[in-house]
Amino acid sequence: MPLLQDCLITFLDILTGHAALAVYLFAVMDERMIWKKVKKLPPLLLSPIAATAFNIGLYMIIPGTNTLRYAIFSCVVLTMCTVWTMWVWRMGFWSAFSSVCMAGIFQVATSALSQFFYLMFPLESEIISAVVMVIFLFIVFVGLMLLKKMHFGTYFQLLLEDEANLRRTSLLIFALEVVMDIFLVLQSGIQYEYLASYYILTVVLILLIVWLVIHMARLFDDRRMLQTQRDIIAQQQLYEQNLEEIRRETRLFRHDYKNLLAGLSRQAGEGELEELRATLSRLDADFDRRLGKKIQTSTQIGNLLIPEVRSLLLSKLASMGEKGVECRLEVLYPVKAVGMDVWTFVRCLGILVDNAAEAAQETEQPWVEIILLAQDDCVSLRVANSWNGQGNPTRFWEEGWSSKGGGRGLGLSSYQHMVEGCPAAISSTSWADGVFIQELTIGGRQ
Amino acid sequence: MIGIFLCDDDKAVRSRIQTALERKIFMEGWDMSVVCSAEGSQPLLTAMEREGSRHGIYFLDVDLKDEKWDGFLLGREIRRLDSHAILVYITSYGDLAYKTFQYHLEAFDYIVKESEQLEELVCRCLEDIQARLMEERRAPEEIFTLRTGDILRHIPLKDILFFESAPVSHHVLLHTANSRMDFLGSLGDLEKQLGDRFIRIHRAYLAAVARIDQVDLKRGILQVGGRECPISRAGKKLLCQRGGGL
Repeated sequence: MPLLQDCLITFLDILTGHAALAVYLFAVMDERMIWKKVKKLPPLLLSPIAATAFNIGLYMIIPGTNTLRYAIFSCVVLTMCTVWTMWVWRMGFWSAFSSVCMAGIFQVATSALSQFFYLMFPLESEIISAVVMVIFLFIVFVGLMLLKKMHFGTYFQLLLEDEANLRRTSLLIFALEVVMDIFLVLQSGIQYEYLASYYILTVVLILLIVWLVIHMARLFDDRRMLQTQRDIIAQQQLYEQNLEEIRRETRLFRHDYKNLLAGLSRQAGEGELEELRATLSRLDADFDRRLGKKIQTSTQIGNLLIPEVRSLLLSKLASMGEKGVECRLEVLYPVKAVGMDVWTFVRCLGILVDNAAEAAQETEQPWVEIILLAQDDCVSLRVANSWNGQGNPTRFWEEGWSSKGGGRGLGLSSYQHMVEGCPAAISSTSWADGVFIQELTIGGRQ
Repeated sequence: MIGIFLCDDDKAVRSRIQTALERKIFMEGWDMSVVCSAEGSQPLLTAMEREGSRHGIYFLDVDLKDEKWDGFLLGREIRRLDSHAILVYITSYGDLAYKTFQYHLEAFDYIVKESEQLEELVCRCLEDIQARLMEERRAPEEIFTLRTGDILRHIPLKDILFFESAPVSHHVLLHTANSRMDFLGSLGDLEKQLGDRFIRIHRAYLAAVARIDQVDLKRGILQVGGRECPISRAGKKLLCQRGGGL
């Protein structure tokens, strides 16, 4: 029976390890909809069962305390958890892998920190095991709170968005996880008088890793911001060109206007009322065609006082114009603030407009309509587009859903994620009669 | 009687519209009358107070030459005082940000004042208003109203499939067959407010009884208007209890 007992203990050990890993994984993923993911937890239980069986199998082949066995075992668990993460969050291999490694680092560190108790009291007893378990859970809880407080998950997810360097990042995090694991293995060789140093070293190491990840995420954010600022400058130049065009057209128009007026006064003198009317309406239509629309748009754009938002809309309007999508922009009052982080707002706006343009292009007469209204303490955005009624809108909110291959659904789910991250933001979606509407309201009395 | 209010700083335009309105009302024998013709927002608001107006019709200039009020803000104030107001805007150009008015103030229509057919436009607009009023009177519906930011939304109660508590606390999602809306509230309050017509099938779901298509107790799923909601254990019990009434 001692064999069975050993198996049971191994299983319990691996199970707690997995539980801690799952908890840290949720922290690293910056997950808010925990209860929606919870139903996907049971399959994770397969992992400890498989791991236990595997561990026992390995024990048969390589008996005794062996680092090689530990390494093989860790890699297998890591792979299984990565597969699980890929399934639950519907993310790519590298993102899932780095997330699991990151959670693994925390989990291993927690084990290292809690197991010192064994070393202080090197007696085998149930009480000691229970105490270690309590300490373990306590550290998991404190760790979770600290990570939440630092917004570690947000930074980590930001880092994963750096797709160009994703592979390098995952390998780095994997290396760190290996280092952490080696630390845990080394523990059994630590002598009693060096225990305090070991303990401090582990804490320092984990802090360093956290700092490194946050630092890398910040660097990436800065780089991205710099790029966007460069884009803004380019867009502003486009805007100035547009204004310059209006000025030139106005000058031309003034020239024509004089001729037209001369003609009109001749017609009026000769009493040709019908012709006079026709000329007048032609003049009106001509003005609208040549200048009216441009002036309308530039007035609306002039009301966008936030450079980031202005530049984004300018570039989106330009690209929609190229693709033949009729576009209408209304900004009644000057928009000075958006009530949330400007970059988050810009990303939300970008996603909504891109989706609208994409869906509109599938219709015969594509159009997109953007209304932005700033009032006392509240900003509201409404993006409407023509829509051919295809695709099931009720599935838009499912993570990773996409109507064709990718990009679109991912955009909407990260939009959803960003909106959920801002408690003052409220979003609505509706669709009917060939029109699809997304609305976002930020702030204001509700 | 339904009161009609006019507000425009151009006296000529105002009197043209008023004449057109009065002639149309007289010809059709409708129960309406022009109770106020103001040149600015202040006299209009005073008149509203005097008349104690509810369900009024308002013709408003977009470009009010007023320091405090422009057409939009005046419309917002009127909407606040008279939530069932019908707002029609008078504008000098066709290029106003009309969609904003329509969306944020539920503006009914707009009329271009420079137009030669001003009278005709006014009459047609009044016909449309009358048609809508008749429609509303004929089919009074129970309406669920929710507020997001400055916008009030009116959703017929029969269109609502279910409420779902959002991942963010204090937010609730309302689902209809063709929309999903987020607002601030709590399922507990809604459950109390809506009474028997809705049933709490899950901690996070409140479904419309009349819209239930199918109950799949085995899979623990409720089909409401073609959508699926989970049922909790307590929800199952509640469904079974009310099984006869469903």
